[in-house]
Amino acid sequence: MNTTLDMLLRLLVWLLLAPLVPGIINKVKAWVAGRRGPPVLQLYYDLAKLWSKGVVLSTTVSPGHVAGPAVAWVAIVCAALLLPAGPAGAPLAFRGDALLFVYLLAFARFCTASAALDTGSAFEGMGAAREVSYAVLSEAAIITALLALSLQTGSVSLTAMLTPAAGAGAALLAAGLFAVLLAENCRVPFDDPNTHLELTMIHEVMVLDHSGPPLAAILHGASLKLLLFSVLLVEAVLPFGKLTPLMAAGALAGSVLTVAVGIGLVESLLARLAFHRVPLLLTTAFLLCLFALLVAWRGGQL
Amino acid sequence: MTPGWLLFIAATGMVVGMISAFRWLRLWSAASLVGAIGALAAAIWILKSGTVWDWQSAFAIGGESVHLRLDGLSAFFLALLAVLGGVGTVYQQEYWTNKKHPGSAPSGRAWWNAMLLNMGLLLLVANGLHFLIAWELFAVCAYFLITRERQRREVRQAGWLYLAASHTGTLCLFAFFTCLAARTGSWELGPMRERSELAPLFWLAIAGFGLKAGMFPLHIWLPSAHANAPSHVSAILSGVAIKMGIYGLVRFSGWLHVPDAAGWTVATLGVVSAVLGVAFALGQHDLKRLLAYHSVENIGIILIGLGFAMVARAHGNAAWGQLALAGSLLHVWNHGLFKGLLFLGAGSVLHATGTREMSRLGGLWRTMPWTAGLFTLGAVAISGLPPLNGFVSEWLVFLGLFDAISARGPIAWTAVPAAVLLGVTGALALACFVKVCGVVFLGVPRSQVAEHAHECGWRMRIPMLVLGAACGAIGLAPAFFWPAVASAAAAWQPEWANAAPPAPLFTVGAFHIAVVVLATFAALGLWSRVKRNGLSRGPTWDCGYAAPTPRMQYTAGSFAGIITNWFGWILRPQRHAHPPQGPFPSRTHFDEHTPETVLEHVVEPAGSVVMRLSTAVRRLQHGRLQAYILYLLIGLAALALLALMGGAE
Repeated sequence: MNTTLDMLLRLLVWLLLAPLVPGIINKVKAWVAGRRGPPVLQLYYDLAKLWSKGVVLSTTVSPGHVAGPAVAWVAIVCAALLLPAGPAGAPLAFRGDALLFVYLLAFARFCTASAALDTGSAFEGMGAAREVSYAVLSEAAIITALLALSLQTGSVSLTAMLTPAAGAGAALLAAGLFAVLLAENCRVPFDDPNTHLELTMIHEVMVLDHSGPPLAAILHGASLKLLLFSVLLVEAVLPFGKLTPLMAAGALAGSVLTVAVGIGLVESLLARLAFHRVPLLLTTAFLLCLFALLVAWRGGQL
Repeated sequence: MTPGWLLFIAATGMVVGMISAFRWLRLWSAASLVGAIGALAAAIWILKSGTVWDWQSAFAIGGESVHLRLDGLSAFFLALLAVLGGVGTVYQQEYWTNKKHPGSAPSGRAWWNAMLLNMGLLLLVANGLHFLIAWELFAVCAYFLITRERQRREVRQAGWLYLAASHTGTLCLFAFFTCLAARTGSWELGPMRERSELAPLFWLAIAGFGLKAGMFPLHIWLPSAHANAPSHVSAILSGVAIKMGIYGLVRFSGWLHVPDAAGWTVATLGVVSAVLGVAFALGQHDLKRLLAYHSVENIGIILIGLGFAMVARAHGNAAWGQLALAGSLLHVWNHGLFKGLLFLGAGSVLHATGTREMSRLGGLWRTMPWTAGLFTLGAVAISGLPPLNGFVSEWLVFLGLFDAISARGPIAWTAVPAAVLLGVTGALALACFVKVCGVVFLGVPRSQVAEHAHECGWRMRIPMLVLGAACGAIGLAPAFFWPAVASAAAAWQPEWANAAPPAPLFTVGAFHIAVVVLATFAALGLWSRVKRNGLSRGPTWDCGYAAPTPRMQYTAGSFAGIITNWFGWILRPQRHAHPPQGPFPSRTHFDEHTPETVLEHVVEPAGSVVMRLSTAVRRLQHGRLQAYILYLLIGLAALALLALMGGAE
């Protein structure tokens, strides 16, 4: 009973904190641009508003159009169960959960992209095609990053892989995972969450025909995914396992905040890449992870 | 009842079915189903008890006494054969009826039973000569099943290609079994691991069985044969028949002393098959051809596991070898189940619309909700996504590779690219199946035939439901199926026999169940919330464009365009485009076709060289007697010269 309660409480923390990250990013972007910007809690207000709004469904769509966001959201939430939060560990940890984590996020992608094709719109088809195509390269980078971590620790469980962390190739891994984070969460320079031109979007165009509670599920799921990737990034780089719980919690919060600020700065300072350049950047991310893997390899022999 | 009696019932059922296939439909159906159930029961018996059934008879065929043996490994494959044979038997009663195909349906049923019987025999025989006989009979039965619609040209071509490729493979196997028999002095098959001088023969086995399994680049026959066969035949070809190649590889890599390089070769071919199989699948516009290329991909995943298991055994690394082997074997079942489901689903689409061309389909979920739902289930499974069975086996292979890398050493150098490319394969398969589901079942119908499609009847639906349920069962309770995998693995390497799963299968199963329950609740909750908030309908947002037409939807080609461009170096897509020109553009046109690169750029040029050489040599034979006498004289002179020179020495 206690473990179930513990699991639910941790999950609740994940769910409640997630919408904070996009808020911070937007605030940073506003500051850099010299604006006051929307409040940090804006996404919470948006979600609350969307949850009680009515829904307009396209006449084309199947019942799966509403199920898609729900299943994708569940897949991301289940992935959150596997990611450790510093020394507190993960609610669930077993051998091979690292791969389950990656494949749950892939399952979420399957649902979102299918729901996009459900509308029969060429724009959403375009977005879905881009999403699943670029994911091929980021998947290669993530698997390589996991291999590097697994080689360092000799384990295939996220909790064990992320506790010591900070191998010799930490900087390489950080750079690679940061690029993957930007790509997987559709941030600049891969995608622009604020763009107003459907032709140039990836993620935003896939959800054009969603509204009301399903849109809320998508937005919340996306923010949770962003939080998961940020936590994965900082834990892969920094040795949280060696700190006391209180310090680790502080350090974790601080570093996730840093990542969010970093994303905000990237979005303010960089322009979106042309689509034919995206594979180049993702391949670079893959190579960075590969070099981290090689460093981890050498590290074991020295 | 003992396995022997169950197998006797199975064989009797199949033979009775074969005889009654022409006249007595009900008897055929009942006898074949009883046969399939009997075989399944015998397989489960062996897999559960972990024993070996061995039966030797005084009766001889070809001078060799009949010797049948059912051990864990053959029972593992027999179970898959029985399941797909059973569901195919039910499915074809509605799919390939006497009414629609009066010429080909009755004989098709007889060939169907004959093929099932011969594949069963192939798994049972423990004699090289009988293995070859069963292999050849099964290959010929498959040919007659592939060419059911002989009046169509592409079907005949596909059939010939299959027959030629199959016999090339059989040639290798003839060489393999006769060399084996010559060296051992007997046709009897069995473990002979201590005889290291037999190792080089395994290369012949890789070529022969690899051709049947359809591994890259020996897959040239596979796409056209699977696409042009009736769908229930495609299902058994893809689900079981190509697995006979895998069975041969697993069987003889277990029994023979394997050369050191063989494991690496199998693993490398596996990686190449996996990535290029799915890349070619992405370039296809024909639904069944696309599924056929996915067979190449999945055979690749199976071979990655098998190859690394062989390497592990050679280096004495039991722990991760076990994982790789378990993943590989479980993927044999999984691929059989979900690919069977997908081909039956594709058959249902073909049955309802009469076309396999994806760009003419669309929006089929309205008229075919069962097919759409079950096909999507199969798509999730084949993309290796949780919570279904495809994930479990890929996960086991992944764990094996990760452990191999953690062990460092030279093996890790190949395990790293294998693991990364396995991940890439998964992501590519996901892209491909989002495309298939989206283009075929979602959106708006792109043509009249798609608009007027109809759902299939119960006899086609139940087989799909059975296969879908099996996919779900292995995904949600993998630990329950572990003893079967363990029993097959024990037959491959007796020292690796242990009852405990090497990975937390139970936890993964429980996690999958939680995902399913939560997803169901979330979907229902969200739907009820949507209902409560009020639901209205409107047209799809198309940037305010007022008159969207179905043809403006994203097509299969455009969806896969980004990835097929990356693989353009090997896919070599042929594009014919007439873009609109001038102020009043006339008819514009665009079409794209991805040919079979290995066939068109390697096999066909090589074939034409052989043809040209043969034509040149044929000029020697022209019917002029004088010239023939001249040849004789030249020959005699040459012989005399040879004899003289030889004498001088």
